[in-house]
Order: sequence, then C-alpha cells, then structure tokens
Amino acid sequence: MSYLSTIDFTEDQAFVDRFQRTMRGDLELSWMDVPRERVACRPENARRGLTFRDLDVGAYGFTEMPELIRENRSFAPRGAAMPEGLPDLQAEVSRKSEVWAYNIEGYYEEAMTRQWNATTDIPWAELQSVDLPEDIGKAYAQLLTFLTEVEMIATDVPAKWMGRLNADFFEVKNFIATQAMDEARHAEIFRKRALSTGWGLMRASAQNEFNLKFLRDADSFAEASLALHLQAEGMVLTLFRFSEYISPTEGDKKLFRLVMQDEARHVGYGMQHLKWVLDHFPERREAIHHHLDEAENFVFGGGYATEVLEPFIILSGKGLKKENIAEGVRITNAFQLKQTDEYFERLAKCGLPERRERSRLWKMVEMRKQTMPA
Amino acid sequence: MPSPPPIRFPSRAFFEALGDAMRAERERFSRLGFFDTTFGVRISPDDGGEPAEFALRFEVFDCVRVMEGLAGVEADFVVEGPFGAWREMFDTIHALGAADTAQSLNTLTHFGERLRVRYDDPDGHDKLYRFAESIQEFLDLSARIDYVYPDGSRPPARRDDLRRSAP
Repeated sequence: MSYLSTIDFTEDQAFVDRFQRTMRGDLELSWMDVPRERVACRPENARRGLTFRDLDVGAYGFTEMPELIRENRSFAPRGAAMPEGLPDLQAEVSRKSEVWAYNIEGYYEEAMTRQWNATTDIPWAELQSVDLPEDIGKAYAQLLTFLTEVEMIATDVPAKWMGRLNADFFEVKNFIATQAMDEARHAEIFRKRALSTGWGLMRASAQNEFNLKFLRDADSFAEASLALHLQAEGMVLTLFRFSEYISPTEGDKKLFRLVMQDEARHVGYGMQHLKWVLDHFPERREAIHHHLDEAENFVFGGGYATEVLEPFIILSGKGLKKENIAEGVRITNAFQLKQTDEYFERLAKCGLPERRERSRLWKMVEMRKQTMPA
Repeated sequence: MPSPPPIRFPSRAFFEALGDAMRAERERFSRLGFFDTTFGVRISPDDGGEPAEFALRFEVFDCVRVMEGLAGVEADFVVEGPFGAWREMFDTIHALGAADTAQSLNTLTHFGERLRVRYDDPDGHDKLYRFAESIQEFLDLSARIDYVYPDGSRPPARRDDLRRSAP
C-alpha cells in the first residue's frame, strides 16, 4: 500500500458531521449549480447507434482538444467540471500528437462491433475430426507456438500504456483497451488450436523474444505504437494472410480470417497515428527513423529464426520431401518479399517515403531479390 | 405463369441478389460487426474483350448499393481476374455451400495467382482484411442464388457429401 490518504475520514469530525446531515436529508447540492454545457447527443445514423463521433460536441468533443493537455491531470472525464483538490495522477503522455490518430473514434466503434469469441466461433469439433500428417501437424503446432508468444506480448504492450495516458485521450484509451482484448483472444485461440492439433506447444523462440522485449520496453507510447502497430502488426497481418493461405483446413482458414480482421484494424490505427504525428509533430521524423532502424534490426533477427521460418517452408510446401521443401522455400520467399514490400508501402503512405532508402532491411530485401531465380 | 428468367453472372442483378440475401441474414452480419467499405469487382472475359465491372458499397451491416462500372468510383480496392477464376470460385461455393480451402478469397488473392487486388492506398487495401470474414460470408451467400453463366450453363448443384477441408 504505497498511496495513503492524507485524511483519516473516520476521525475527521467535520466530514462525519456533513455525512450525518446529508443522511438526515439536509442536502448541500452545490454540484447542481455548476454551470454546464448542456447537450443532447443523438445518433447521426440510427442503424449505427450512438457513436463517439456523435458525442464530438463542444467541450465534450475531441476535435477542439488542444495539443497539450495542461488542465486535466486527474481522472475527470473530458468536459466534466473540475473542482479544486483533484489529485495529480502524473499521466506520462499529455501531448495529443503522441497518441492521436485520424478516425480513432471510428476504429473504436468498429472494434466493439467486430468482437468474436474464440471458444464458440470456431468449428472445433470439425477441426478435431481432421488428422494432420506428422510433419504438417508439428510444423503447424510450432507456428501456433510462435504466434501465442507474439500475441501474449501484444496484449501486454497496450495494457501497459493504457493507464499512462492522460484521461482526456478517452477515445485512444478505449481503443487500446479493445486492442488488449483482441490480442488476449489471439493468444487464447492460438494456444487452444496448438493444444487441439494432437502435438501441443512446441519450442519458444529466443530470437523472437528479444524482438518482443524491444516492443515492450519502448521509451514512449509513440515509439511503442510505431514498432507495435505499424511495424510488427503490419508484418504479422501479412503473416496471418499467409497463414490463411497455407491453412490445412477450412476451420483454420476461418480462424486466421478472424484474427486478421483485428490485426488489420490495429495496423489501421498505427497508420493513422503515424500520419497524425508527421502532420502535427514533424520534428519527430528523425526520432522515428532511429527507432525504426532498431525495430527493423530486431524483426530481421526474430523473423528469420529457424523455429519461425522452417514451419512456413514445411506448411507452404505441404511436407518434408525434397520437392515439398523446394516449393515451400519458393512460396516462403514470395511471402517475405510481400511482407516487407507492404511494410514500406504503408510507411510511404503515412509520409515516410524516404524510409526505403534509409533502411538496411530494404537493402537486404533488394539484394535478395537480385539473387532469387526469375 | 412463366418463372422469371434466371439471374446472369456476371451482372449487377447477381450482386444485388447477394445484397438481398445479406439483408435476409441481418442477425448473422450484425454479429460480424460494422462493415464500411466500397470495393470493386472486375471480371475479364477469358477470350479478351471488355471486362465486367461492379462497385459494391457496404455500410453498417448491409450492401447498400451496387453500381455497374468503376469509372468515378472511389474504391478501397478492386478484386480482378479472368472469368474462369471467378467461375471456379463460385462453382465451389455453389457445390459446397461455402468456399473450400483452395477457393477462399484471401487464398485466391494472396499471391495474385488466380485473382489480383488493385489499390492506390494501403489503408484502403487493408479493408479487404479488416472485413475479411464479412466479405467471405457475403460471397458464400451465392450458394443460395439461382443463376446462369453467359453460355447458359449453371453452377453445380449442392453436394453435401463433399468435404471442404483437404488435409
């Protein structure tokens, strides 16, 4: 118990007297007289319901929110009257451009309506009736082990930052709460699928975990978001689409379609956040490049670890025979090139077209393209 | 009384029929969540010639508009491919009630081997994945539609004995 009240209320006679007068019906009612901005928000589209965008009015809204939140340092909901004596919660992030994204309110509403259930939305009984050959089963279980590892840290990162953001960033805090729930569900579904293949969990990946630690230990939310939402999740989104492509059963395909939906939404937030940063806080451009330098170093090390790479080759080639492996290498090569192409394409669209030229990862990919058979 | 002529594929009426089927499945699509995108479909004749193009606009839980042609449409992405690839996908859906492992839209488009995805903005492209399950279930509704191909042939009848998954 590190935080103690400065008052022992049971020993404070004035407080106890006031409480007793209230309970006898002698109401004070000063809170009723605080001048307030009266609003009656209505859904713009009745089919959609009452959304955060419908609440974007006056002091309650987000459009007029200043770049620097100097006034509210408490839990006071944005737009509420703030009496003297509210505690200073020492939010670590009080600058709007460090967290905000175009259409953040839309991403939140989409997230809330597109939640699904790992226990009931997957045809588990149908999946259990399919026996996978040993090489495919083990490779799939290894892929699922890797994905469980990834999603556990992807749950921890947004959860870590939620309480550190200023309370005025209500829509962002709610969005990253949905993200933490999404990622927890992904860790759940990959663990459940691994334990239903007949092989169980395979081997954790040291290389991959160094990358995950880098994501978790970012110095600022903006860096965490850049590495998590845009770089890591962007690459994982391509990976989920590839996993749907190589999935051995229709039930597994559905599983990957459901997780890719969530992942694409997180990437969408990451893109719209980076655009917002570059539009409103352009002096951060160099810091972003420096952070991406190290993020790309880690992703290269983590993504190319054997226990991550080899299952892709076996699954996409559909086996361990020589011809299967040759086909698997061909398809996995194409997947990795697509993964990095899409990553740089997103960065360019966000306003970092020069990233390709500055990136050692891009140079390695270009070299690889030149050595690949036509 | 003569029965109405069957819907032709490709045609605007075909995609409108999918939109009607979607409205009839309101609860199922509501559970999948908000579905806000406009995307294009381009079907090229196997023997060359002008492609058939349609824009499908989705809002909240419904397909609210089907337009013929893509000129002037701000589409998030366009899925395109030869008639044969589209036919193979829709035949599979009609026979099995839903796409199998080889004919899901993501599988067909991932490497652009059968169908390709065109886009200008990667954020628009990502909507194909943000709404992946809604789009797949929308296409799977074609299993319920009675339609004919340009040569007068029909998709195969439903076969419940076939397995969709091929380990």
